Amino acid sequence: MTTVIGMTWKELMRKKVVMMTLIMTVLFIIVFSFIARILGESSGIDPSQQLVMQFINGASILTLGFFFGSFILAFLIIFSSFSSISGEAEISMMQSMLTRPIQRWKWYLGRWLGYTLFGIVYALVLYIAIVAVANTYATVPQSLVLHIQSFLLFALTVPLLVTVTLLGATLFSALGNGVFMTMLYGAGWLGGMVEKLSAGADMKPEMARSLYNITGMISLVMPADAIQRKMLAVMLNVDQLAGMFNIDQQMRGGMGIGQAPSATFIFYAGIYTVILFFWGMRRFYKKDF
Amino acid sequence: MNTVAIDIQQLTKEYDNGRGCRNVTISVGKGEAFGFLGPNGAGKSTLVKMLVGLTAPTSGRATLFGEPIGSLAAKQHVGYLPELYRYQEWLTGEEVVRLHSRLCGMDQSTIKPRIKQLLDQVGIGKRGIDRVKHYSKGMQQRLGMACALVNDPPILFLDEPSSALDPIGRSEVRELLKNLKNEGKTIFLNSHLLEEVESLCERIALLNNGQILRHGQVSQVLYTQTKWRFKVGGFTPEILPWLSETSGIAIKRYMNPSISSATSVLPVGQETVWLEATIDNEEQIGWLNTLIVNQGMTLYNVEPVKERLEEWFMDAVSGLSHRGEQ
Repeated sequence: MTTVIGMTWKELMRKKVVMMTLIMTVLFIIVFSFIARILGESSGIDPSQQLVMQFINGASILTLGFFFGSFILAFLIIFSSFSSISGEAEISMMQSMLTRPIQRWKWYLGRWLGYTLFGIVYALVLYIAIVAVANTYATVPQSLVLHIQSFLLFALTVPLLVTVTLLGATLFSALGNGVFMTMLYGAGWLGGMVEKLSAGADMKPEMARSLYNITGMISLVMPADAIQRKMLAVMLNVDQLAGMFNIDQQMRGGMGIGQAPSATFIFYAGIYTVILFFWGMRRFYKKDF
Repeated sequence: MNTVAIDIQQLTKEYDNGRGCRNVTISVGKGEAFGFLGPNGAGKSTLVKMLVGLTAPTSGRATLFGEPIGSLAAKQHVGYLPELYRYQEWLTGEEVVRLHSRLCGMDQSTIKPRIKQLLDQVGIGKRGIDRVKHYSKGMQQRLGMACALVNDPPILFLDEPSSALDPIGRSEVRELLKNLKNEGKTIFLNSHLLEEVESLCERIALLNNGQILRHGQVSQVLYTQTKWRFKVGGFTPEILPWLSETSGIAIKRYMNPSISSATSVLPVGQETVWLEATIDNEEQIGWLNTLIVNQGMTLYNVEPVKERLEEWFMDAVSGLSHRGEQ
């Protein structure tokens, strides 16, 4: 299995999608630094509100950073792994390797671990970069415990996306899986955006309920965006600040958190990932090549 | 037959679209080269994929050296070269072979010299350090051979091993396969290059629409017992109907291009020709000999008709429906 993990890492290191992601990351960090500086400099207008404003600015910068950061992370995960099974089978690459004396479940697990570990390492680098940039220009939470919790939530999208992508690779052609994953992630993201925008908006209870139902259903199928919102809520300690002010109404440009999912939802996302993982493994185990 | 290497009993794979293969029963001995033929879409690759554990059979059973197909123990015996494959283009040739050696669980100390030996053997040599994306189809096919051989498997399943190679490459692969056969490897060759099959294999089977149509020894298949040719001197066209009528044997003149030049220098009516007779038993050959000689003609040569495998193939599948590739 270590051979399969090593093969996956080598593939990722040499594929153009990873290089593109790294270039995008560098560009993103540069642009993000400029934006963070501008946002950071605009605080402190009213001295009585300075502490709150500093926090709001830090929260805005972090939210903005992780909004795009989660995009780049998803881009890396989806586009590096969407063709891993069906694509390899289409060019008979898989056929020559699966005839080797290795159990199929080990192959699947090896691939999953390879993509997941690589994604988590990348997520860690990205997380540190975003927090470091935000910390340079604004006040950000300093609690190590909060950051560990936040990072774990940020990184939780990696196994989730890898799992769904690999399952899709056992169900669809390489191209079909790429389209499927993009659409699925896009739907999750759209649901999250609706959630964020509606959180700060003044709307009728029936309309709000309908919107929550729709976004909730989308989150059940693709919980990535909801996990990201939970990550921000944990990092910014939204629950404890709830009595003081509504962070969504304070943050600029719709960069809110919306209704952060509960701990139960995170548990659901974990179970969902595990179920889809075993479903994918079973399909791979039974698949005719 | 010596020890059975590949034992296939009533192996069936049925797909929803009606493709696959049905009730295939073949036995291949250790060290034997077996040719598997058939039109496109006949189900050849399906059978091979079942044998190497890529596809689960619908029914039937098969073993490789007594181990059930698909098991790890059976896979230990297998070297497989798939059809129309590509390798990881982001790896070098050496890395691809190393990957396969590791997947086979080979000892680290034996991997390095084995890779060098194999790359030299298949004609890649120093280009093993180049990325696969820079390889031609032929080079990739050579790399595929190296991967198939990396664990020194006793059974080789080769699906069109030289289809992408130029004539020199084909000749080299043929030589390589002959050497492997001489080393005692069992070769299951799935090929459209009938010359390749003819030169290497002892036995063949022909699959059409998923079922074995014919099978047998190449030597038996290629010698049509019912047809014999007679090289006759002093032949006149009028003698042919008499010869057929008297002997009761269907005889026709056979146009052999190799003697056309000799014929042209003979006077008309006194030619040296080839006659082809379809006989029921060998006694008829003696009877025909006697008739020819008694008519004052000279009998230079008598030989059974040896068909090329291509002719045999065409004869076997002509008039039958084929599923084709669609």
